[in-house]
Amino acid sequence: MASAVIEVDDLVKVYSGGTRAVDGITFRIEPGELFGFLGPNGAGKTTTIRILATLLRATSGRARLAGFDVETQAADVRRSLGLAMQTPTLDAFATGRENIELIGRLHRVRGAELKRRADELLELMGLTDVARKLAGTYSGGMRRRLDLACALVHRPQVLILDEPTEGLDPQSRLALWEELERISRDGTTMLLTTHYMEEADRLCRRLAIIDNGRIVIEGSPAELKAGVGADTLILQLDARDPEDLARQQDDVRRVLIGFESMEALTPEGFGVSLAVRDAGRAIPELMRRLDRNGAGVHVVGLKIGQPSLDDVFLKYTGRRIRSEAANEPIILGW
Amino acid sequence: MISAFFYESFYLGLRTLRRFFRVPANWIGIILFPLIQLCVFSQLFKDIIQLPGFRASGSGSYLAYLAPGQIAFTAFFAVAWSGSAILVEYRNGYMDKLRATPIHRLSILAGELAPLFIESAIMAGGILVLSVILGASIKTGVVGALLILVLSGLFGMAWAGTSFVPALLTKSEQATGTLSLLFLPVAFMSTAFVPPSLMPAWLQTVNAWNPITFLIEAIRPLMVSGYDWGAIGKALLAIGVMGAVLQTATLWAFRRLTA
Repeated sequence: MASAVIEVDDLVKVYSGGTRAVDGITFRIEPGELFGFLGPNGAGKTTTIRILATLLRATSGRARLAGFDVETQAADVRRSLGLAMQTPTLDAFATGRENIELIGRLHRVRGAELKRRADELLELMGLTDVARKLAGTYSGGMRRRLDLACALVHRPQVLILDEPTEGLDPQSRLALWEELERISRDGTTMLLTTHYMEEADRLCRRLAIIDNGRIVIEGSPAELKAGVGADTLILQLDARDPEDLARQQDDVRRVLIGFESMEALTPEGFGVSLAVRDAGRAIPELMRRLDRNGAGVHVVGLKIGQPSLDDVFLKYTGRRIRSEAANEPIILGW
Repeated sequence: MISAFFYESFYLGLRTLRRFFRVPANWIGIILFPLIQLCVFSQLFKDIIQLPGFRASGSGSYLAYLAPGQIAFTAFFAVAWSGSAILVEYRNGYMDKLRATPIHRLSILAGELAPLFIESAIMAGGILVLSVILGASIKTGVVGALLILVLSGLFGMAWAGTSFVPALLTKSEQATGTLSLLFLPVAFMSTAFVPPSLMPAWLQTVNAWNPITFLIEAIRPLMVSGYDWGAIGKALLAIGVMGAVLQTATLWAFRRLTA
């Protein structure tokens, strides 16, 4: 097997204020992989990325990108790297084309090749019509795409994207996902961070859930979800009043005694929620039991919930990912 | 290594120039104040030229006396807030984007500073043209005019440190703007409005060290009498010393910021 494109070994970053933003992270990304960091804001994703992009010095540990050490071979790392940060960073007073061409020039893409590459990327990102307009006039989605075009101009071996769809409307997000999938199919190794479960689920072949500066668990989305174990079955009950609801919930519990697929039953305001293995197969048996012995149970709705990455996050950290959103601290000068 | 540095600085510098000239408010704002001073003061204090101290300067009218000072003012204003741009890009992450490309870190700073030569020279040139339209003359002709632009450009590039150092150290646009204003009295205490012989003793002492005065006193003969190589040499020396001090500080502050 070829050696890893990104190799991170026990990376630690302690900021001068004493915050341990990254607390011993180790991972490998193989050539051509699309690898994701999933975690709430403040988990240490951006700090790790900044170290990999040679923008920040690690406190300890080792990181290699494309075979080069980020500390001692920064120039080689930068040559191999395409980077798009959390908010698109563009020169607002330069046109779309000028933005791409400048970054290309700094990467020593020159002359006819630079022009061809800029044309190609503008076309790819759907920006040909606005190529001569100032980037400052672009919409959020267009800025993202232009930023991505800048990151791709020198055909980097590795593409690092920090929250690539943050702040996009659903349509633009979907379009960008398709774009990222296409880039990945072309063989570019990608590392992206996200706090959107759907994004990690859809895009990443492999991902690491990161929390408080540590990797909590790593695997493919399917593996991680399988690790949660059970599916969730939601039975909605039609009850007259709370006593009636309680009675029906007891009936359900009684009816389901000995139902072997079931792992847990939780009474809820709407009825009951069941943790079952392989919900699809369990449903017929569940219905048969309710039909035979559940005369007093009025089921008005049945919903299968497959475990989401949110459940994975919950299982390993004890918290939901969404509620953790805390914005980056504002750095105050004078 | 060196050629890479020039290559990178060149393209980054082009970007800086584009950014400057594409926003009309930039150059209108710079030229407006000296222009108003030139128009208003040349009329308001027209007769001040009768005072004995002015005769020695060789200026035939107060407008002729005032114009070199306003050209220097323009070079001053052209760079007074020049450090904010790099600060904005440090904050919004564009500087990180540049730093993640395989370029020399100092190319980023050079790409900001070198274009200030052109910006200051062109802005000063604007006021030079306007003063000629208003009735001033350039005794030394086109060559002298070009020399005035070169001096103004060099001065601007050196003086920019007064904006870059506070910008890079405080990381605050507001602080940078305020601190830049503190330098305004330096311009007013120069020989832009009156010759040193009409100044109180303490102000004469200040002027012996005021870099803006050196610039003005080199430009004035070029406009009203002829080449005064002594004054030009002194101006270049003053700009050189000031530039060395301020830009060493800028370099230090930049390294500190991007460490």
